[in-house]
Amino acid sequence: MTAYILRRILYLIPTFFGATFLAFLIIQMAPGDYLTQLELDPKVTPETIARLRSQFGLDRPVYEQYLLWMNNLLHLNLGYSFAYQAPVLEVIWPRVVNSMVIVIPSTLLLYLVAIPIGVYGAVRQYSFGDRLLSFLAYVGLSVPSFFLALIAIYVLLQIKFRTGVLVFPVSGMTSSGFEQMPPLRQVLDIAWHAVVPILVATANDIAGLSRLMRGQMLEVLSQDFIRTARAKGLSERVVLYKHAFRNAVIPFVATLGGLLPSLISGAGFVEVVMAWPGITPFFLDAIANQDLYVIAGFLTVSLVLLMIGNLISDLLLAWVDPRIRYE
Amino acid sequence: MRKVLALVVSFIALAEVASAQTFVWPQKWTVAKPSEVKRGGTLRRAVISDFRTFNPFITAEATNVPDTISPYGLVRRDPTTGDWIPYMAESFSISPNKLEITFKIRRGMKWSDGRPITADDWIMTWRIHTDKAVGSNSYDSFFIDGKPITLRKIDDYTLRFIYPKTDAEALNVASFTPWPAHIFGPVYQKEGAEGIKKMWTLNEKPENIVSAGPWLVESYRPGERLVLKRNPVFGEWNKDEAGNPLPYLDRYEIKIVKDVNAALAEFLAGNTDVFFEVTTVDHISQIRQAIQAGRLDATIKVNASPVASSQFMVFNWNKASDLFKQSLFRSEKFRRAMSHLVNRQAVVEIVYGGLGTPMYSSVYPVLTQWVNPKVPKYEYNPQQAAKLLAELGFTRKDREGYLVDSKGRRLEFNLSTNAGNPQREQIAKLIVDEAKKVGVKVNFTAIDFNTLVGQLLSSGPDRPFDAIIIGLSGGGLDWPFGSNVVPCKGNLHMWNKSGQCLDPRETQLDALYSRGRTELDFKKRVEIGYRMQEIEAQLLPVIYIAGPNYHTAWNNRLGGEHPEAIISAIWGSRQLELTFIKK
Repeated sequence: MTAYILRRILYLIPTFFGATFLAFLIIQMAPGDYLTQLELDPKVTPETIARLRSQFGLDRPVYEQYLLWMNNLLHLNLGYSFAYQAPVLEVIWPRVVNSMVIVIPSTLLLYLVAIPIGVYGAVRQYSFGDRLLSFLAYVGLSVPSFFLALIAIYVLLQIKFRTGVLVFPVSGMTSSGFEQMPPLRQVLDIAWHAVVPILVATANDIAGLSRLMRGQMLEVLSQDFIRTARAKGLSERVVLYKHAFRNAVIPFVATLGGLLPSLISGAGFVEVVMAWPGITPFFLDAIANQDLYVIAGFLTVSLVLLMIGNLISDLLLAWVDPRIRYE
Repeated sequence: MRKVLALVVSFIALAEVASAQTFVWPQKWTVAKPSEVKRGGTLRRAVISDFRTFNPFITAEATNVPDTISPYGLVRRDPTTGDWIPYMAESFSISPNKLEITFKIRRGMKWSDGRPITADDWIMTWRIHTDKAVGSNSYDSFFIDGKPITLRKIDDYTLRFIYPKTDAEALNVASFTPWPAHIFGPVYQKEGAEGIKKMWTLNEKPENIVSAGPWLVESYRPGERLVLKRNPVFGEWNKDEAGNPLPYLDRYEIKIVKDVNAALAEFLAGNTDVFFEVTTVDHISQIRQAIQAGRLDATIKVNASPVASSQFMVFNWNKASDLFKQSLFRSEKFRRAMSHLVNRQAVVEIVYGGLGTPMYSSVYPVLTQWVNPKVPKYEYNPQQAAKLLAELGFTRKDREGYLVDSKGRRLEFNLSTNAGNPQREQIAKLIVDEAKKVGVKVNFTAIDFNTLVGQLLSSGPDRPFDAIIIGLSGGGLDWPFGSNVVPCKGNLHMWNKSGQCLDPRETQLDALYSRGRTELDFKKRVEIGYRMQEIEAQLLPVIYIAGPNYHTAWNNRLGGEHPEAIISAIWGSRQLELTFIKK
C-alpha cells in the first residue's frame, strides 16, 4: 500500500508540470493581454503602454514567462496580480474563505438531501412520491443556477413589497454596520445572508445527484445477491441499508476526491448574481482582464487539490470496495 | 506647566482653525438651502467593480478609492459654468507668455492626520507620478508632446507649474490630487518606486490612509463593502454659504455588487440610495413601476443628457493586399454613402429603446459648447447613398442583387465588432440590412474584443480588416479632441495607420489640433474646434452612429441634488459634500 501511494505521488510530478504548462500556454494563446483595454484610451500614449508591458514582463517570450513563474511557484509564490498589484495568494485567499461559507454547508446539504431522495425513489419506484420528486428533479436540472438566483431575488423583493419584511437579504454577505456588531451577531448576520445562496447552489446539484443515486440503487436492487438476501429472510431494512445501499454508494465515494478542488472553486454564478464576494466573480474578472498570474495561480491550486483529491478517492474506494486491492 | 503648554497648543490650533481660508460651496450647486439641511446619516450606493488598491499611484479603475476619498486638487470645475475655479489654491495667476501658472495655496488646510497641506505635497506627488518605474496611470498627463511639465516650489504656500508650451489643458493638469509627502516621501527616498508600489495595499489599516478630501476609510471588506466616514478636518475649510462645515453626511457606504440586476434589486428594495447604472429601458420601467405602485419613494430622471462616449464605424485605409477595397475605403464619396445608410433613428429606437442620441461628429453631443451646429450631417437616406455609389461606378446589380462596377467587382466588405456587446452587434445587423437594400453586401462577424483591438491598432500598409464598429469614451471640456486620435501618427488614428497623413485634410486636422491644443482663449479654441468639425464632416474618417443617454435615480431620503439644468453625464446628479439625508 505504501509503495502504491509513493508511486502515485511520483506520477503526480510530471502531471503537475504538464498540466501547468498547458494551462499557461492556453491562457497565453488568448489574443491580447492585460493592457489591451488601456490601448483604447485616447489619452495614454503607446510608449507608456510599451513601458508597462515590459514592467509586467508581458513582452518576454512565453517559455521565459513560464520558467519565471515556475521558479516562483517552487518557492511557493503564486505570482503577482496585475490588477491588484499584490501577491496572488493575498488577493485570492479571502475570496476562497468567503466561498467556503456557501460551499461547505451546500455540499453537506446536498448529500443529506439527495441520497435519501434517491433511495426513496428507488425503493418506491413509480409511486406518486417518486413521480413528484422526479418531476421536481427535472425542473431543478433544467433551471440554471443563476436563473434560480434571479427568481429568488424576485420572490424576496415581492415579499418585501407586499409585507414590508425582508425575509432574507437580496444580496451580499453582511449587513451595513457589520463592523460594529458583536462577534455572535456577526456570525448570525453572515448565516442569514448565506441561506438563500446555499439553497440556490444546492438546488441544481440535488436534482443530478438524487437521480444518480436512484439509478444506482435500482441497479443494485435488481441483482441476484439482493434476491438471495431476501430469500434468506432478512428484514427489508437490512436488505436495503446493509446490502443494497452500501453497494450503491461506491461510485459516490469515487467522486469524493473531486470535492476537494470544488471547495475552493466557489459556488458559481449564484455568487455573481447575489453579490456574494466569493471566488467566482473574482475569477471571472481576472479572466476578463487577462490578469495572467491570478488565473494561472488559481488553476495551479485547483490542480494540486484535484490530484490530492483523486489520490484520496482511490484510497477510499479500496477501503469500501472489497473488489479493489492495491499491490 | 503641562496644563499651560496644553492650553497654549490648543490655543494655537484654534487660531489656525480661525485663520483657515475657507472655500465656500456655492448655493447654486444644489437645490437645498442651508436652512433645510440636516446633518448626519449614511449615503448608500452600489458599484459594479471591485476596489483593487488604496494606493493613489497605481490605481487604474474608473471608480477607485483614492479618487473617492479625495477627488480634488488646486483647481476644480464649477458645474454651473464649466469654468476652472481655484479650490485648494486660493488664487492663481498666469504669466504673460502663458507658460507658467503660479498658484497661491490656501492656508490652514490639513491632512486628516493633522499635518498641514503645503507645496511639498504637490511636488512629491508629481515626482512619484512621473517616475516611470511606478507605472502611474497619470504619467502621460504630465507631458506635452513628450516634453515634461515641471513644478517648482516658490515657498511653502506658493507653487509654480512650468509648461514646455502653451496648453489648453494646463489647468486640468493642475487639478491632480495631492498626497501626503510626509507619508510617501520617506519611503520614496529610501526604497524608490518599489517601496511606493508596496504602500497602501488593501491590507493597509484604514486609520493609516490619510486624506485631504471629504472622506476617510472606515473599513473595507474585499469584494463586498467600502465604508467611508466624514473627515472632520475637511469641514474646517469647506463650508456652505451659512458657514456649516461639509460634508453633511457622517458616512458613505459603497457596496460592491457584481451584477447590475442585483444592484437594481438593492435599489428597489430601498437598500441603496442612488442607482448610477440606469442604462436600459428595463431598469427604467422597473424603477418607474415601483415608484408608481408606491413601493419605492424615489426620483428618476430619464434622458438627462447624452453620455460622453461614442459608437462609430471605421474603414481601413491601409489595405495593400486588396487595392480595390483600399481605394473604395479611401473614397470620401463611399464613406458618405455609408453614412447615409446608417439609420441612426432606428439604432436609437431599437438598440437603445428610444433612449439614445444620434451622433454625427467626433464631439460628444453632451459637450454642447463644442458642437458645431452648422456641420452637414449625412443622415439616413438610402436614395442618396445609391446615387453616390452610382457616381463611383456601381450602377449595375449582379444576379444576387448586389451592386457591381464596370469590371464586375462586387461592392462587398467585412464588418466586425466585439462579441458580447449586444448593442454593437445590433447596430451592425441594422447596417447589414440597410446596406443590402441598396445592394451593398456587408459580411458581419462578431469577434473577440482583444483580437478586434489588435486588428484596429495594427499598423503598416496592409492591415487585417475592412471595417470595424467600436467606441471610445472620455474627452475633455477643455479640448474634446483626442491626442491619440487626430494626429496622423496617433495610436488611435484608426482609419489610417500608415504613419503619415494620406489626405491633405488629415494634414489640416493635424495642424488644427496642435493649434487648438495650444490656444488658451476658450472662444478662439472653440472656433478652431468648429473648423475641425467642418473638415471632419467633409473627410468623414469615421462614421459616428449613436450613443445611449444618461439616466439617474435616487431615493427621496436624499436631499441636495443638483438643480435640474446641471444634472448630466458630466456633472452627475449631485455633489456628495452638499448631499444630506432628509428622513
